[in-house]
Amino acid sequence: MRFPGRRSGLVAKDRLKLVLTSERLDCTPQMMTMLKNDMIRAVDKYFSVQDKKVEIRYIKDRSTLLIKIPLQSDIEKSAPGMSFWR
Amino acid sequence: MSEIIVVTSGKGGVGKTTVTANLGLGLAKMNKKVVVVDTDIGLRNLDVVLGLENRIVYNLIDVIEGSCRMKQALIRDKQCDTLYLLPSAQTKDKTAITPEQMVKLTEDLSEEFDYILLDCPAGIEQGFKNAIAGADSAIVVTTPEVSAIRDADRIIGLLQANEMPKIQLIINRLRMDMVKRGEMMSVEDVTEILAVDLLGAIPDDEAVVVATNQGEPLCGKNCPSGQAFENICRRISGEAVPLMDFQTKTGVIKRLSQIFRKS
Repeated sequence: MRFPGRRSGLVAKDRLKLVLTSERLDCTPQMMTMLKNDMIRAVDKYFSVQDKKVEIRYIKDRSTLLIKIPLQSDIEKSAPGMSFWR
Repeated sequence: MSEIIVVTSGKGGVGKTTVTANLGLGLAKMNKKVVVVDTDIGLRNLDVVLGLENRIVYNLIDVIEGSCRMKQALIRDKQCDTLYLLPSAQTKDKTAITPEQMVKLTEDLSEEFDYILLDCPAGIEQGFKNAIAGADSAIVVTTPEVSAIRDADRIIGLLQANEMPKIQLIINRLRMDMVKRGEMMSVEDVTEILAVDLLGAIPDDEAVVVATNQGEPLCGKNCPSGQAFENICRRISGEAVPLMDFQTKTGVIKRLSQIFRKS
């Protein structure tokens, strides 16, 4: 069966990453979402964040929380807060 | 020095017993003295996969309780005379033995054998704790599915919490055609998610079902899974064997015949 859009292999990988992050940290998926939203809100004060692409991962062997926050590609426009410093 | 390896997975039905039987046979074929131990008390299966179910007289519990000597309980394999099975008991349950007794058992076996492979029951309860107690390395078996990988991650966490010195991964039932289409996670995807060393991958192969039906493991046979198992055995023995390329070369004729079969 073919799904429109993303391949199911990729969907599986993304779903697993999220559920394993919350299990490894012993933190509910809701808390993960809250953390994610807080991170987006904090960074969004300074840059426009592509919030759909924000990713949280826990790197087990390094005990590190990895949060990837992609910004809008046009930094000039996307950083209203930063113009103050220039 | 003997190596004591537990084969575990968390989730049931991913191929622990098949992997144990095939690795046992493969290592024995390399002229090593190998014993495969079924630690799944109450739900034994390693005997039928090896085709030795009719030869069981004594079992693991009898040895532990001292009602027979170790030699009496060990069953020699049909295919390879350096491979032995220590069967599990079918009438008892997991609480019949303790981790300490398993440590003692594996210590006794290590005087006789080069490799001791422990087939672990599914789950994370007493049976799992017993099986890992005596092991000095673990092989985690998973399939490229979300449920199996999630359970494998949990098992890896528990093994690390129990300070297992060495943890390696086997990815079973890989379907390269689906991976190519993007409808199945690849070896790289699974290894990245679980973040443990990869020991090998085994393609999904009808020959495994046939071999289990007949009670004759197929390690080393001329089929994709047989070759993959053999490669894993060589890696266990310290050889550097590159990961198998599962890309089956499909010629024009085969492709055409596949098209006709579909229509």
